[in-house]
Amino acid sequence: MKAMENVRAYMRQRPFELKKLKDGGRKIVGYVPDGYFPEDLAWASGAIPVGLIRGGDHEAVERSAETGVLRFLDSFCRAQIGYWKMEEPLYRLPDLMVVPILENNIKIISDCWEHAGPGGVFKFGVPHKQTQNGFKYYLYWIRELIQRLQELTGKEINEAALKEEIDLSNQIRDLFKEISQTRKSDPPAISGTDFITLNHASYLYDKRDFLKVLKEVSEEVKKQTTGLPQGPRIMLTGSTIALGDSKVIDMVETAGAHIVIEEFCEGIRHYREKVEPNGDLVEALTDRYFLKKLPCADCRGASLKRFDHLISLVNEYKVDGIIWYSMMYRDSYDIEGFYFAEQLEKGEKIPLLKLSSDYDAHAEIGPFRTRIETFVEMIKANK
Amino acid sequence: MVVAGIDVGAATAKAVILVDGQMFWDVRPTGFNIIKTSNEVMAVVLEKAGLSMDDLKYIVSTGYARNSIPFAHKSITEIICHAKGAYYTFPGVKTIIDIGGQDSKVIGVGEEGKVNNFVMNDKCAAGTGRFVEVMATVLEIDISEMGPTALKSKEPCQVSSTCTIFAESEIVSLRAEGRSREDLIGGIHKSMAARVTIMGRSVGYRDEVVFTGGVAKNIGAKWFLEQEIGLKIVVPEEPQIIGCLGAALLARAQLGQ
Repeated sequence: MKAMENVRAYMRQRPFELKKLKDGGRKIVGYVPDGYFPEDLAWASGAIPVGLIRGGDHEAVERSAETGVLRFLDSFCRAQIGYWKMEEPLYRLPDLMVVPILENNIKIISDCWEHAGPGGVFKFGVPHKQTQNGFKYYLYWIRELIQRLQELTGKEINEAALKEEIDLSNQIRDLFKEISQTRKSDPPAISGTDFITLNHASYLYDKRDFLKVLKEVSEEVKKQTTGLPQGPRIMLTGSTIALGDSKVIDMVETAGAHIVIEEFCEGIRHYREKVEPNGDLVEALTDRYFLKKLPCADCRGASLKRFDHLISLVNEYKVDGIIWYSMMYRDSYDIEGFYFAEQLEKGEKIPLLKLSSDYDAHAEIGPFRTRIETFVEMIKANK
Repeated sequence: MVVAGIDVGAATAKAVILVDGQMFWDVRPTGFNIIKTSNEVMAVVLEKAGLSMDDLKYIVSTGYARNSIPFAHKSITEIICHAKGAYYTFPGVKTIIDIGGQDSKVIGVGEEGKVNNFVMNDKCAAGTGRFVEVMATVLEIDISEMGPTALKSKEPCQVSSTCTIFAESEIVSLRAEGRSREDLIGGIHKSMAARVTIMGRSVGYRDEVVFTGGVAKNIGAKWFLEQEIGLKIVVPEEPQIIGCLGAALLARAQLGQ
């Protein structure tokens, strides 16, 4: 797809572009894209938000040890620390880091960035229960974040600017939903590789440029198919699918299966829930980001809601099998993985394959390939 | 229709040729040069069958080096192959426990030898043939004697089942304490059986349970596994070539047979 080629080219030059923008006086706000940072606030303040979603490099995981961080910690989170240590441009550019803290692994990213890293970190806790008290707490911190962003850029976030950003983000969500619908066909009209790349791109792109790109992709996708043969339909889920961590996706597609839908805490946008810009805009953002959004696995009692959601996706996208791909030592997802496996065994009996990565591609490729190929063959034989 | 399967694992390479209802086979250590060993094992079996490479209509490769075999027409994972091979040998199979030189697997088998669930350990030596080998070296006993000696154990030692290296030093300490050779070796086998059994719980153990892989030739391993899972286990006559046989059967299936 021509549009996808343009996306890849854009992403390659974006760090240089951001450097130029920064030299020209723009402020860069880096953030952990766990879905709890309303980027519209950054855009409206005149800053450029950059989602820090790189992963897949074992070197980054190892380098994090230089900050004294524990070995037995989520690989993606350790990599975020390591990329800063390795002087990855995207990690060195931000003037401010925003970390919405869900659990211990993410908290440690913020600790390391604060003490051994770039310094300026705005961190806040995300309550684990979607209650009114939780809403008030989250809203309080969003208002604090607004202050911080305004201090950073010297520009006040006015209502008109924020409304414009919210509208554009809603349009982006609608387009993601539209494109996602085309994956319901057999075979899907757009590959898992491309759809995931678009999600990753959304964290790095200029927003208005990205909206144009999504419109282009949506047009192209309606006109053509991937030209690939039908194959087992896979849902890919877990904690994190990072930019640079494509081995599982590649192996699934090489084995002749199609990833038709994803659900991740970090790496995939939650495009189903929109912001309803009625009344107080900041409260509207808080409502969508805290109350409406599908909670991630770290939230208490979220498992049932999340499980029901996954099953509804299985039915909607006619999924043949689920690949549970998690980072090593992400405890909340490990526990949820066990719970989901039990539930599937008792109920829907959808085949499930669990994979766990430490970003050690060298050691993992053989074992993963054997498991993925077997899983795909298993589904084909039993269809 | 003459077909062949080749299974190149981490420890051993196997080849099977099926012709006119007859089976010819060979096993040898994989060694360092995979291509060389593949050619060798295939040459040996061709000679046994009185055939040449050109006579083979379809070859399926399996095992961890399956994608490195130049003369294979298709590669299929060892889990799929084991299920086919075990089903052919024991049509009532519902569970396969496969313990090889460097890995172990538990496979749930459905109708017609199709895989319906699986779990594998290819990361850790505990619960694999390597565990038994390391201990045999420590105790200065030939590997073929490990199984029979384990069966003579009266009170198998408690041995750490999670790490071969830790287990090794445990065995040295227990020996220094004066524990009998039989009990040390019994403990080693109990530990390996426990490790594999725990891993396979997510698949579940259902009758008939078929034991494959090189370690299935170890009568001690079989006995201790039966104790752990609480079911009788059947062992094929040649447990080491089951995966390879499955590959050959799948080769036949590719030709529409």
